Amino acid sequence: MADARTHTVTPRWWAASVGRSVAFVWRSLRSMRTALVLLLLVGLGAVAGSLVPQVGVADARIAATFRDHPLRARIFDQLGLFDVYGSWWFTLLYTLLLVSLVACIVPRTRAFVRNALAKPAPARDLGAMRHYAEVVVPVPPERAISGARRALRRRLFRVRAPGDGRALAADKGLAREGGSLLFHWAILLLLAGVAWGKGTGFSGQAVIVEGETWTEAHASYDGQIREGRYFGEHHSGVQVRVDDFEASYRMTGQPRDFVTRATLFDQDGRLLDRVEIRVNHPAEAEGVRFYQFGYGWAPVIRVEREGEAIFDGPVVCEQRDVPDGVSPLQVPWRCVVKLASLRPQVGIAFELWPDSRGLLSLLETGQVMPMIVAYAPVMTWEAYEGDLRAELVQSASTLDTTAMRRIGSGVLGAGETADLGRGITVSFLELRRYTVLTVARDRGMRIVLLAAILMLIGLLPALSSTRRKVWVSAEPDGAGAVLKVGGFALQRGSRFEEEFARLVRDLERAAAGVGP
Amino acid sequence: MSGGAAARISTDAFTVAFVAYLVAVLAAFHHLAFRRRSAWTLSIALTGAGALAHLVSVVARGIAAGRIPLGNMYEYSLALSLLVVLAYLGLVEWRAGVRTVGGFVLAFVLLTLAVAALFLHVGPAPLVPALNSYWRQVHVGSMIVSSALLALGGILTILYLVKEAGERRRAARLRPIAGAGVDLGTVPELQLDGGTVTEASVPRRGILPPAEVLDRLAHRTIAFAFPIWTFGIITGAIWAERAWGRYWGWDPKETWSFVTWVIFAGYLHARATAGWSGRRAAVIALVGFVSLLVTYYAVNLWIVGLHSYAT
Repeated sequence: MADARTHTVTPRWWAASVGRSVAFVWRSLRSMRTALVLLLLVGLGAVAGSLVPQVGVADARIAATFRDHPLRARIFDQLGLFDVYGSWWFTLLYTLLLVSLVACIVPRTRAFVRNALAKPAPARDLGAMRHYAEVVVPVPPERAISGARRALRRRLFRVRAPGDGRALAADKGLAREGGSLLFHWAILLLLAGVAWGKGTGFSGQAVIVEGETWTEAHASYDGQIREGRYFGEHHSGVQVRVDDFEASYRMTGQPRDFVTRATLFDQDGRLLDRVEIRVNHPAEAEGVRFYQFGYGWAPVIRVEREGEAIFDGPVVCEQRDVPDGVSPLQVPWRCVVKLASLRPQVGIAFELWPDSRGLLSLLETGQVMPMIVAYAPVMTWEAYEGDLRAELVQSASTLDTTAMRRIGSGVLGAGETADLGRGITVSFLELRRYTVLTVARDRGMRIVLLAAILMLIGLLPALSSTRRKVWVSAEPDGAGAVLKVGGFALQRGSRFEEEFARLVRDLERAAAGVGP
Repeated sequence: MSGGAAARISTDAFTVAFVAYLVAVLAAFHHLAFRRRSAWTLSIALTGAGALAHLVSVVARGIAAGRIPLGNMYEYSLALSLLVVLAYLGLVEWRAGVRTVGGFVLAFVLLTLAVAALFLHVGPAPLVPALNSYWRQVHVGSMIVSSALLALGGILTILYLVKEAGERRRAARLRPIAGAGVDLGTVPELQLDGGTVTEASVPRRGILPPAEVLDRLAHRTIAFAFPIWTFGIITGAIWAERAWGRYWGWDPKETWSFVTWVIFAGYLHARATAGWSGRRAAVIALVGFVSLLVTYYAVNLWIVGLHSYAT
């Protein structure tokens, strides 16, 4: 008996309970109060993301937190606080908010469409309205009503005259709800555009030395690329030949302009365009955009052993750890040449002074003169031999000397050659610049922009338009008619007081105007 | 006019504006306390004169720098406070006819100007390349206009909360006498959504305008500012795409402008939510006001990000 009950009743009880729970959650999500709380929680989450350093925005500070406060860093990491906008709880929050949004606006949209299609409903007891007036006009009721109808139409009311032609119902302000709905639907469109653009796009960084040609392909980014989940490796193959990079400064050392002059070719080598890429002025080719991001110096270095070149080409130099308050123009550039094929291996670390007057002023006064242009550039070098430990992940511009022995050092001017011993010579042939371009494709951008514009278009009437309803009826009164006007304001009732008074005067005049 | 002369005119006009506002604040509070029409007239005249000098200061600054003077925090503060004054004169005094809140608004303006002069002042100078974009003018312009309106809305909200608390206390005091059924906190002359409630139509009770008037004024101001703030974020995103290669990157300034947007969106929704209008909504607006100040000051001064150059 007991078993039978468990078998027959429990499943139903379960189903009912689950059903009730689902209904409860759905009802909760539909309520404005839930939406409001979720909205404020999303705001709170975003605040957390601005206070804790974020992945991709402040990686160095995250590393510093891990170094200085390992426990705090681990806790933050577990909570996803270093990547708030990609964390599970932020995703959950805005997903719930989206569900709530949809749950709100689907029924509202249905009601709105019904409302917009239906004509304004007639009312019975005008005298009970908050706004009510009676005026006597010297024309028969039918004429008074048709005059009132014209007057209301002029004021952009929708008018419906039911039955006997002695009454009408009018309303306006549908744009308020319509705008609000447009705004909320546009938010969904915006998020869809963001998701599609990010999912099918990529963003990376290209380092290109003057005179060199760079191909837009995965390998060219040297790991400096983030590709969308659905990107599918469809790189454009566009080739960028950097003809020239120019950085200009004011007398104060404040940057004036950065320009990359480049020639673009498609993947078959056909000329596409000659472009100037500057800050705020990206170039575009085959859906891929190129933005000016940064620049630096790249000395062309040749290393020979017994007269045979074992390294020949530009080396990208970087600036690291520029102290606060010091102009990057006052800091030398560092780069490394690694000769992994030699036994023992050899590595040479360079410190580049693009303007030798910078180094001289440091030696004379202790202060580095800002190095704006290349002027008699010099490099100091230190050579090591031993094990480069290349199997460990290392930056291309640092040398791990823990397993190496110093074999020499010196200073090298442009066009000069130094002898490292062991039959190895190193030459500093010339100094070029390199440019750093952000290369990105985001197909969702147009959708996002469109959605943002729609949001604005919806927002304006949603916040400024007001819904009003007006009813008019006319009854014979001697030779003329008594016009009864009732009004109802759903928003800003206080403003409607005056509006209603003007409307009544208008109706009176309009009704009288058609008289004999 | 040489750049040096323009820069000097700008600082002198700043001083004139500051002094004019200072006296205007005293006159406005005098009017608030003693209701002498002459004090109000004086405060309005001085505010007008101050605004004129303020405008001269902004324009001269632009001439000195050879560009539109919206390039750093000092210039933003100058423009923002001028717009707060103009919005106050236009919306509060002229349009709504509320004449007793000027002292509080001008006190905020004075504070903004003092912070600008003491902590944010830099000489007029050209801009770094990243700021060289017409999208910046549109973005910064709309952000400043909406910030000024939101700040005004924030001040009105604070006054509303103060007044509302006062009215509730008063109602609680009177209820035992009048009987529980009659709520004297909202006596019949405060027909909330019916009759026109202006300061003139409501018998004087306390020194501030009725809470209802303040609430409606704050709401109208914020509802006016919200689309402009939205527009500012959109143009900022367009500019960010051109300058940095992405339209949104959760940079602290972006994040906080979004947070402020979300909070004021919450405020606008709260007013349409049963049980949340009135005081609760006002508290949300107050949080929004704080968030606005963080977006405006703290992000540039204390949080490292791509907008740091604007200090």
